[in-house]
Amino acid sequence: MTARQRADRRAGLAFAAPAMLALSALAAYPALWVLWLSLQQRVPIFGIARFVGLDHFVFLAGDARFWNAVRVTLVFTLASVALELTLGVAVALALQRQRSGRRLALSLLLLGWALPSVVTAKLFEWLYHPSAGLVNVVLGGHAINWLGDPRLALPGLVAADVWRTMPFVALLCYARLLTIPIEVYEAARVDGASRAATLRSITLPLLRPILLIALLFRTLDALRAFDLMFVLTGGGPANTTETLTVYAYRSLFQTLQLGFGAAIGVVVFALVMAVAWAYLRALRGAGVAA
Amino acid sequence: MIRRAGLLLALAALLGGCAEPPAGSGPITIVFKHAKILGSLDPIPGLLREFERRHPGVTVRSEPLSWTSDEQHQFYVINLDGRTPSFDVLLLDVIWVPEFAQAGWLLDLSPWVMPEELAPHFPAAVAAATWGHGVWGMPWNMNVGVLYYRSDLLAKYGMTAPRTWEALVEQAARVRAGERDPRLDGVLWQGKQYEGLVVNTLEHFWASGTSLLGDDGRVLPDPERAASALGFMRGLVERGVSPGWVTAGDEELTRRPFGDGRAVFVRSWPYALDLFETPDSPVRGRVGIAALPGHAGGAAGAGATGGFHLAVNRRTRHPDAAIALVRFLASDYGQRAIAAPGVALYPTRAALYHDAAAVRAHPGMPRFHDLALAARPRPVTPYYLMMSTTLQPEFSAAVVGVKRPEQALAYARRRLEYMLSGLR
Repeated sequence: MTARQRADRRAGLAFAAPAMLALSALAAYPALWVLWLSLQQRVPIFGIARFVGLDHFVFLAGDARFWNAVRVTLVFTLASVALELTLGVAVALALQRQRSGRRLALSLLLLGWALPSVVTAKLFEWLYHPSAGLVNVVLGGHAINWLGDPRLALPGLVAADVWRTMPFVALLCYARLLTIPIEVYEAARVDGASRAATLRSITLPLLRPILLIALLFRTLDALRAFDLMFVLTGGGPANTTETLTVYAYRSLFQTLQLGFGAAIGVVVFALVMAVAWAYLRALRGAGVAA
Repeated sequence: MIRRAGLLLALAALLGGCAEPPAGSGPITIVFKHAKILGSLDPIPGLLREFERRHPGVTVRSEPLSWTSDEQHQFYVINLDGRTPSFDVLLLDVIWVPEFAQAGWLLDLSPWVMPEELAPHFPAAVAAATWGHGVWGMPWNMNVGVLYYRSDLLAKYGMTAPRTWEALVEQAARVRAGERDPRLDGVLWQGKQYEGLVVNTLEHFWASGTSLLGDDGRVLPDPERAASALGFMRGLVERGVSPGWVTAGDEELTRRPFGDGRAVFVRSWPYALDLFETPDSPVRGRVGIAALPGHAGGAAGAGATGGFHLAVNRRTRHPDAAIALVRFLASDYGQRAIAAPGVALYPTRAALYHDAAAVRAHPGMPRFHDLALAARPRPVTPYYLMMSTTLQPEFSAAVVGVKRPEQALAYARRRLEYMLSGLR
């Protein structure tokens, strides 16, 4: 290493130091603290604070409510992310084709994404209203019990989440589509490629890296989903919409079982980290700078 | 010379101002934390100015919290657990009082507040304030679960308010058969998975002659009666007496359709009456108020109570001023202000429910008086919140029909016993 390189390295470290410091103060320290909490029974109201080791995790392993929350979280994530990506690509392609009013379409699209999710939740509360709700009126005036039926509540929440976050995927894809040189398409047309073939062999492969990034963001967000179900259903009916984060919130902040709630938090953290790690590997494989 | 004396005086005053004033004298400021008051009129600022006028040297700063119950609870717990003296008087949901008292966060008012001072308040409100051997708060406002019915419809078919749930089901069927209006529902209640569902279920437990906590502290002392009560609630949905959507219904979602004339009965709180009687309400003048029905072979119905109590932070630096404020707000004068027109709260002092001015502002008050007198508090225990959040999903499962009532209750019981064993 030359002196110049060593100096560069020192400068680099110095520049990175504030960020590292901030990250460790704001992310690493709380994460370690939660890990430590999860090994304790701590309920401030009853003056209880004692070390219990892995007791909470052992209880969770046999806790039907926990496994239900895991299932709800995974179903919600898979369904909403799959729909968001499919619809997002479709909307991006439609936008690209659109001749006029593109600016208006873009702003309308952004509206759903820009609304705070609690506002979205309140909006859907009225859309799903059993008698006065727009959804039921459009469906022919049936009194469908969207949020009170154990089979419909989760699909109802997935639809609300897709409405809210699909624009994010659509905009990412649309931005990428704008950078694909027109010559590529012209060449395809000259070669007599059909529309379907163009989509399959040109557009989608070129979208792939950006789709992987969208997939990563959306999956991590969906795994941590909280506000929609908290406002719309409170986790009900019969816990059919209780995600891991809602379960953690109820234990941590409603009943103040800090140790037990932290244990659920640790599980969510582990789940999110595992998914993020798997995606980052896939991204590297796809040749995208992570 | 004179000028120098003046300077000295000023200096002395300045030094005096820096020194800690002796307790009970000198200007002090106390902080009153409370939920944001909903409704068109907030009585708090006026009350605080009057208190300051009566207590020279005491200033009260009012600091409203967000109106969501969870956030208020969270704020109080974090700050009280951190032993903050930054607020002196706090407004507490009745279900938190024993919890905070157990944690040692509230000042025991029993050396100051004699039983006579609590006597004018409704017994259900007092029960929630006195847990163990202390007095942890003064009642301020209260809610009671009541049954509203369409007096015009019942009269049309020659009926009066139902005494039992079984009679209610029959009446709803007769009215609906006679009216032939497919949009007219029978009875609405709060079946969403939240605190309201626990309240509704408790009322059915009581009407069936059982409760959630036995006198000996056992959870669900009579599981059979409890299961039949839960089964009855599910039956209301299955038989179509209540629309399917009550399983997602909260207070407002059930209050509105009744207010639009689309249900014969609704279980709600006193605040709803003011909204049913607004000049442009379709049901104005056609709403009757009754006690919640009992169950045939059970007991007479009783409404559950809710509301807020005034308590003093144990870490307060000004206990005398804080206690004075609590007593002032809970006094006849203080509660008269919340019975004023435009305020959406109901006082806890029974006499006010027959007071001419209060009745003019809220004509339903004499009727609510009898219902509040017969009302029961939710279990007064520091474990209430933990019990409620454990029960909500199980009650919801029974009401939407994914679990049989016996199954839901057995699971709830096992879980509660595990949770409570970890705390004792």
